[in-house]
Amino acid sequence: MGSNILRRRRTEWLVTLPTLVWLSLFVVVPTLLVFVIAFRPANPYGGIGRGWTLDTIRALATPSYLLIAWRTLWISLLTTAICILLALPAGYTIARAPARWRNRLLLLVIIPFWTSFLVRVFAWKSLLHPDGPVKRALEALGLAGPETTLLYHPAAVVLVMVYTFLPFTILPIYAAAEKFDFRLVEAARDLGARPFQSFRRVFLPGIRTGLVTAVLVVFIPALGSYIIPDLVGGPSGEMLGNKIAQRVFTDRNLPHASALSAVLVLAVLAPLVAVLILQRKGKKSDIIMGEAP
Amino acid sequence: MRRSRFPIAVTVLVMAFLYLPIVILVANSFNPARFSSRWEGFSLTWYARLFQSPEIWAAVKNTLIVAVSVTAVSVILGTAAAYALHRFGASRLQRVHYTLIYQPLVVPEILMGISLLMAFVAAGVPLGLFTIFLAHVTFCTSYVAMTVLGRLQDFDFSVIEAARDLGASPWQSTRKILIPMLTPGIVAGALLAFTLSVDDFVITFFVAGPGSTTLPLRIYSMIKYGAPPMINALSTLLLAVTLTAVILSRRLATRHANSVTHN
Amino acid sequence: MSSDFLEFRGISKSFGPIRAVSGVSLGIKKGEFFSLLGPSGCGKTTMLRVAAGFEDPDAGRVFLDGRDITDLPPNKRKVNTIFQSYALFPHMTVRDNIGFGLAIAKRPKAEIRAEVDRMLELIRMADQADKKPDQLSGGQKQRVAVARALINKPDVLLLDEPLAALDLKLRQRMLIELDLIHDEVGITFLYVTHDQAEAMSLSDRIAVMDGGRIEQIGAPAEIYESPRTSFVAAFIGDTNFLEGRVHDCLDRDYCRLSIAGLPEILCFNDKVLQPGQPIFLSIRPEKIHISHDRPEEKAQRNCVPGVIEDVIYLGSNTKYWVRAGGYRIQVLRQHDRYFLDEKPIRWKDPCWIWWHADDGFMLDHFRKADEGLLAVPPQSVGEPINGK
Repeated sequence: MGSNILRRRRTEWLVTLPTLVWLSLFVVVPTLLVFVIAFRPANPYGGIGRGWTLDTIRALATPSYLLIAWRTLWISLLTTAICILLALPAGYTIARAPARWRNRLLLLVIIPFWTSFLVRVFAWKSLLHPDGPVKRALEALGLAGPETTLLYHPAAVVLVMVYTFLPFTILPIYAAAEKFDFRLVEAARDLGARPFQSFRRVFLPGIRTGLVTAVLVVFIPALGSYIIPDLVGGPSGEMLGNKIAQRVFTDRNLPHASALSAVLVLAVLAPLVAVLILQRKGKKSDIIMGEAP
Repeated sequence: MRRSRFPIAVTVLVMAFLYLPIVILVANSFNPARFSSRWEGFSLTWYARLFQSPEIWAAVKNTLIVAVSVTAVSVILGTAAAYALHRFGASRLQRVHYTLIYQPLVVPEILMGISLLMAFVAAGVPLGLFTIFLAHVTFCTSYVAMTVLGRLQDFDFSVIEAARDLGASPWQSTRKILIPMLTPGIVAGALLAFTLSVDDFVITFFVAGPGSTTLPLRIYSMIKYGAPPMINALSTLLLAVTLTAVILSRRLATRHANSVTHN
Repeated sequence: MSSDFLEFRGISKSFGPIRAVSGVSLGIKKGEFFSLLGPSGCGKTTMLRVAAGFEDPDAGRVFLDGRDITDLPPNKRKVNTIFQSYALFPHMTVRDNIGFGLAIAKRPKAEIRAEVDRMLELIRMADQADKKPDQLSGGQKQRVAVARALINKPDVLLLDEPLAALDLKLRQRMLIELDLIHDEVGITFLYVTHDQAEAMSLSDRIAVMDGGRIEQIGAPAEIYESPRTSFVAAFIGDTNFLEGRVHDCLDRDYCRLSIAGLPEILCFNDKVLQPGQPIFLSIRPEKIHISHDRPEEKAQRNCVPGVIEDVIYLGSNTKYWVRAGGYRIQVLRQHDRYFLDEKPIRWKDPCWIWWHADDGFMLDHFRKADEGLLAVPPQSVGEPINGK
């Protein structure tokens, strides 16, 4: 009897060890390294210098960095907001569609996601090009003059980010809407609620987990965006991602890059931790409610 | 109850929005004009130029070498990981395991790229195809694991018990029952890993060395430093390849699911 | 004890905080059709899985034909299981499914082919040998599962609620088939179910389980007519529970009971009881007779006057609820004569009910909660629930 348990344990370790070791080596250790290197000075000839210092970290407090951090934050928030606003009706529609349509619609949503990301950003770059079709269409409509540039602007970054992350947002909202019992909405309407009211008071809370996933799935990658601001953002659309890449490749200043990356790691952890805490709180209140006679 | 038209309208707009750039890109790949503003008729010049370009071929070769080896290794690692997570799910070890597997999926690529770069530099490993391989396996394994895990969760384990009951040893029941039944899921995971490896840019950018240019890196430099319309053709081809792989993957998944539920 | 073919000794098994089975001992004879009967969560499936080798008991041993098999893995036991979901291998044909056990045992191909053909004849599916499981109906899948197990000639066949997934008609047909197979093949069957009709109609003996323990073991008629506990009385069939005290015991066969509101009741006695001891009387509805007229006084006949509170006419029989004393007593009356010729017993009619003292049984093990197992528990019909 005991030998069966031991055998099970041994199998478990056997199967788990490969990925455990690999991921520890290639995820955990490198991340720790990033934090460690942030405490080292930069080698004037490029690379990592010797010894330990807090200068690198102090260098983060400069206004240019703070500006970039702020810009990264508001661009990510705006992108998230727009994605959610667009994904809610889309996910709702797909979940309500008859089964045949549902699969086709889902496939339509997913296909762009599976095509090369770089290629799609490039497509937007040529679309938004001064000689591109969008600009000419806007000019024809009288909404833009020959001077306005659509590219190299934070707005372009937001646009392309929304484009990139929209499928990621639609899927979790769809998944939650599919499990949602729509008779609850009918009950609300029966009791007098107008469409938007029943949407806000019944549907939205009902898909809460899907909403949270959707927010995380946009906000976190958005924070770490590199290519999009790099290709369509220009200097005024620079985000943390580009700055890190610049420090690595142009300035060869690895400690600075590390310090910035460490900031990014913390920025990415914050919403995850917040969600975790909120989930715990939610569970606690469920228990308290459940005990009421 | 009359349903509001608003959500449907938004959905249609969203779909149009999603496909607009792709459609224009593909269209332009057949446009022989230098500047895409003028349409000069259907032509395959850019595709021809592509095939004559040695840098492109070199990049394709590198990409394939990496993608195939990455797929092989990450399928083995990912399937084992998924099996461990499912079979022993509740234990503390697996909870740690799950958190680790989850990391490459949530961490922004730039963080993975730079941390791996730091690690390679610190360890003195020269950057090249090998480092790209190591980096790709790291995140592909997680995706394969999640794909196979999804399949396992729908898996009726009583067939494994039935096999044991009928005399099969643990290894025999794994080989004759578990793996054949998981094969569609494993293949789906393999196609996913292949696609991700072929497509990856950011992480590859950080850990690549001179002479180890993959296709996405080549595309990026073409975009950044002057953009001959060859990119449209190249992108369209890439689109076609990844699309085919994905459709195949889904076909396999749905065919398996259909055969299980058909009654 | 030693004549038992499959024996469980003191089996206990917990899953985390839940005690699925507590110290259960059980002996099954060779060739017997033995059922474990009980509600969900009573531990019956756990016992089956312990026998199969899929669960290791926390305590206790399992013996098969005198050998201790507790530490043997499932593939080394001469025991085969029919799973509730059938667990057919979806990527193999019917033929390969059935022959799987023999293929693992590395028997020669010709032998496997011959045995599989024989099995296919037995389950009348010879023309479906090359189909895949997803092309079969529920009943067919079940037969394949049975064939797949029987072909290995196991010492014991374990069946885990095999009929649960089938619809009513199919279930009745498969019941008969299982019975035939058991008679033909002569293997020991251990059958797990929550359905009393299945257990009663198929089994040589039944073990009724609740909360991880055995309530009673016996032949179906024994379980039905002489339940030991209120659980067995209420879980199997229907019954009335009356609460009272032992007045005294006349000779050793009968006791006189005082039950509030009723005349003195006589009951068959198989226990050792003290006067004044609280006791519960259980009497099944079909054992009670009912009429407008007062019945003839006879020895050992309990006659009770009452008023009709409810009547449900069911065609071949009628259920009456009679208020007598503080009780609603359920009576089941078979119509063995043309019903419309009689004067019907209607709502609010005064009436007499009577039964023979041998037909009731006394329970010293009574749990109020078991009343909830009755088809129509006393609290469920219009009665104010005391104290709640």
